[in-house]
Amino acid sequence: MIEEIRKLAGEWLRTGKANAILGLKEKDGHIAPYLFTRVEELDNLVITPEYRLLNVYRPLRRNILHFMQKNHPNAKIGVVARGCDEKALIELAKRNQLDLEKIELIGVACTKDEAVACKCPKPYPRNILIGERVEGISNDSVVDSLLKKSSQERLKFWKHQLSKCIKCYGCRNACPLCFCQDCKLEQELWVKPGQLPPEIPIFHFIRFYHLADRCIECGECEKACPMDIPLLTIYRLLRKDVKELFDYEAGVDVKQEAPLVTTLDETPMRSEE
Amino acid sequence: MNRFEPKIVAFTCNWCSYAGADLAGVSRIQYPPNIRIIRLMCSGRLEPEIVVKSLLYGADGVLVLGCHIGDCHYITGNHRTKKRIAILKRILSYLGIDPHRVRIDWVSAAEGAKFAQVVTEFTEEIRKLGPILKEVNS
Repeated sequence: MIEEIRKLAGEWLRTGKANAILGLKEKDGHIAPYLFTRVEELDNLVITPEYRLLNVYRPLRRNILHFMQKNHPNAKIGVVARGCDEKALIELAKRNQLDLEKIELIGVACTKDEAVACKCPKPYPRNILIGERVEGISNDSVVDSLLKKSSQERLKFWKHQLSKCIKCYGCRNACPLCFCQDCKLEQELWVKPGQLPPEIPIFHFIRFYHLADRCIECGECEKACPMDIPLLTIYRLLRKDVKELFDYEAGVDVKQEAPLVTTLDETPMRSEE
Repeated sequence: MNRFEPKIVAFTCNWCSYAGADLAGVSRIQYPPNIRIIRLMCSGRLEPEIVVKSLLYGADGVLVLGCHIGDCHYITGNHRTKKRIAILKRILSYLGIDPHRVRIDWVSAAEGAKFAQVVTEFTEEIRKLGPILKEVNS
């Protein structure tokens, strides 16, 4: 599979279909996103172990592709994209973080094992160039067990889970869609400095709410969490709710605007609450 | 026997609901004294974080009042409120806080009687639900 990707990427670089390829590079056992511009380098292109490709460069809160497109407006960039990367790209383009028109995707479908490991509902991009499409995993045991709980038990569950938080900001830093210039989690009004664990549930609520209509369910927050807080549980439920309330899914259509920034005339609410 | 008197924070918009509350007062309509009104310029100003923080710091219920849809002084401010509160309620229910502790309603400047009615209903509902700190600290 990886050989096919390298071959295709090399072909794109040689024919000029792409001036650069964004992918993961392995160097001395470390994995990091890298912009490949020369064919010889492609021997180091990898797709496993998984690592977030669309990192947000924290000091400036911008995506790597944003800088590329700003400095080289005419560059054609190829991106080795799994299903989740594609969704992230669409959602970022919708929010003016990058221009999708100059980006070509090398769509990679995940294997069954990878899909199971991520509990991914859609482990393939729209246009699959490499790999075979496998069906996604639609049920999540943590979600099911949470829904069976009573209100009291849910509160107890989250109090236990969120009290483990060491406020490392790993969930925010890993998120491809957390790119606000002024992050609420850094404002003293909402998150008191030096308090551990952070106030329950404000700290996590802020992230849950802010990502309600943009979460693409990539699961990077949960993977990044050193304390194993099942953060994705709520995002999964919220994605379902947003679909139910506004008939909207994040990361599917660039033209469909996010429901929380539009009016009721543009995106009506389906059910009355 | 002591009856539980809930503390309720009401966020009202300057143009409709606050004037509606004023009208209820001027017309001498009776309503429970459990609410503490905070005036905002628009209900769209209300960040959901504020609602959660109110509940966390001892408000037993939060009432959000704005202009009727279509009558917003800022054209579409209350559209956003409506969407935000819907999402907020879902998150609260997943976190284990009863979403009925938050209520959103529309009260115009001419509806003093409706203001009193909404406040009375909501106070009774929260009285039944009991104190929030008991729920959160159990």
